[in-house]
This record gives sequence, C-alpha cells and structure tokens, in this order.
Amino acid sequence: MSRLDRWMENSSRALARRSGRRGFLARLGHLIAGGTVAGVAALPLLPVARGQASDESPGSRAAAPPEDIEGPQGDPNHCDYWRNCAIDGFLCGCCGGSATSCPPGTEMSPVTWIGTCRNPLDKKDYLIWYNDCCGKNPCGRCFCNRNEGERPVYHPYRNNDINWCAGAQSQVYTCSTAMIIGLAVEGQPEK
Amino acid sequence: MKPRLPALLVAAVVATAASAWPSQAATDNNAQVRNDYLLSCGGCHLLEGQGSRAVPSLADTGRIFALPGGREYLGRVPGAAHSPLDDQRLATVLNWVLSRFGHTTADPPYTASEIGRLRAQPYLDPLAARHRLLADHDGNDGNNGNDGNDGNDR
Repeated sequence: MSRLDRWMENSSRALARRSGRRGFLARLGHLIAGGTVAGVAALPLLPVARGQASDESPGSRAAAPPEDIEGPQGDPNHCDYWRNCAIDGFLCGCCGGSATSCPPGTEMSPVTWIGTCRNPLDKKDYLIWYNDCCGKNPCGRCFCNRNEGERPVYHPYRNNDINWCAGAQSQVYTCSTAMIIGLAVEGQPEK
Repeated sequence: MKPRLPALLVAAVVATAASAWPSQAATDNNAQVRNDYLLSCGGCHLLEGQGSRAVPSLADTGRIFALPGGREYLGRVPGAAHSPLDDQRLATVLNWVLSRFGHTTADPPYTASEIGRLRAQPYLDPLAARHRLLADHDGNDGNNGNDGNDGNDR
C-alpha cells in the first residue's frame, strides 16, 4: 500500500511539475492566438471582436495594426498614443481599465461616435470606436484632449464633447476608451 | 486519451477560424459600404445594427420598409436625412442596411435621386412619424416595438 501511495505521490508531483494550471492556460492562449493570421484571436470573446469578425467587415485579417511603436505614440496611457487622435477625456488605462476596457464598476456606453486614426507604423487608417465608461466619478487622471477630425456638437456623429453616457444606465462620465473596430477603407472625410 | 484534448482543441480552433473569417473577395466587395455605415451610423446603431436603449435596432427596417410609407420613412429619419454621406453613398448604405440587418431587399433599390428627394423633407418629429406609421398598420398606438426611446425624453 505504501508503494502505491509513493507511486501516486510521485506521479502527481511529476504531473504538477510538467503541467501547471497557468502553463495549460498559457499554452491554450498561445494556441488560440497563434493559430490565426496576423495574431488576431480566432475565438472572438468580446462583442466588439464579434462585430469585427462578421463577414463583411472592412477590418478583418488586416485589422490588427502593428503596435510595436516606440515612444508616446506606442503607449496607450499616453495622450500621444496614435489611437487617441480624437479623444477628449480621461484615458481609461490610467483609471483601472485599459484602452479597450472599462474600470471595474463602470459600464461602457452603448452609443458613441466612430472616427479614424492613422497608425504611424503602417500609415493606414483604422476605425476607432470612442466608447465612454460610465457610472463612477470622473477619473481625473491622464486627461487627453485631441480633436483631430472632430466637429462641433451639431455634427453629433463626429463630436467628442457630447456626454455619450447618455445612453448608459448611469450618465456619470468616468473615462474614455479607444478601440479598433477594423481597418478603414478611407480616412474619415473631415481629415 | 491524453493526445485527444489538443487534437479536439486544434479542430475547434480551426473550425472557428474558418467560420469567422470570410473570403477576401467578399470583404473587399462590401468594405466601402460597411466603412460608410460604421463612420456615419455605427456609433449609435452599433456594429451589427442592434441599436440600444437609446437608439432603434435596424433589424426593424425590413418590417418598416414593407409598410405603406415605410420606404419614404427610412429616407426621412434624422439618421438618414442628416447623414454626412452624399446621396449616392447614402442610397448604397440604406440598401445594404435593409439587406444586412433588415433581411429584406429594397426592390427597386434606393437611388441617389430618390434619396435626395426624401432627405430634403426631414421629419420634424421622427418619433411621432414612427408611431403614426406603425399605428396605421397595427391599429394601435404604434408603440409596440423597440423605438429606441426609454420614455425619459418625452
């Protein structure tokens, strides 16, 4: 019996050494991300990703832009980050969220406006979805006010002064995201 | 049994990838109209036209288009009449929206001249126009669907 116990113990320890839970998750992640073109995840997990994966999206295989940009234009938490070209607010990456996700306890506004920003590395225009996060007091960190291609409030489809949290459960603005939803066929006409 | 899990995973990933990514030709053919849709309509109607509490779903466009006056209505609502797109591009987007989200076909398709005529008469009260359109058809107050209005701004 003790031999069986020792065998079981040794087997379990050997298995644990070879295949930790994190190791399995890491390999699974690599498998999912690496099995596709341009490093775009094959299993779309977010609603935005599902939209991007639809069969007629302008951004599809080419939608993943090169991101190895050095300096502020490559730092999502810096106002000069290329995707922030028309943002007006606090960068969610400095507020407990990221450039593509809201801080805990806030809700992403269901309505917003969409513009384009040019990636300095490949010189291509990308469709950017400027969703606000709503439900907590304004974050107050990493304020960024760039208005490239922005238009006055009477052009609501190109305006960043509107409180887009008007479409959310709470109208309290917290911070702003800048998500890529695809490769643009052409830049927005205001640029 | 051990090798089966990776094999199944690979099969699932490959199958998902194949279904998620279309042919390049299909993407190219529709890229311009979807680009116009996203830049001019998608911020509020959302990426797949689903709308939200605040904005109507474009899935309703097929039903509305089939109603008497529905064709004209879709060219006069604010999102169409005040769109930054020119008449030709807006006509193309409307035809695409009806097909893609409304699951119907604009027959005959909208043309630039028709859109120019319709958007020259934008609704002063689009919500009332919507209710009238639906009431004429349903025989009630017309407020029986997602009109994108949660009642707070009435």
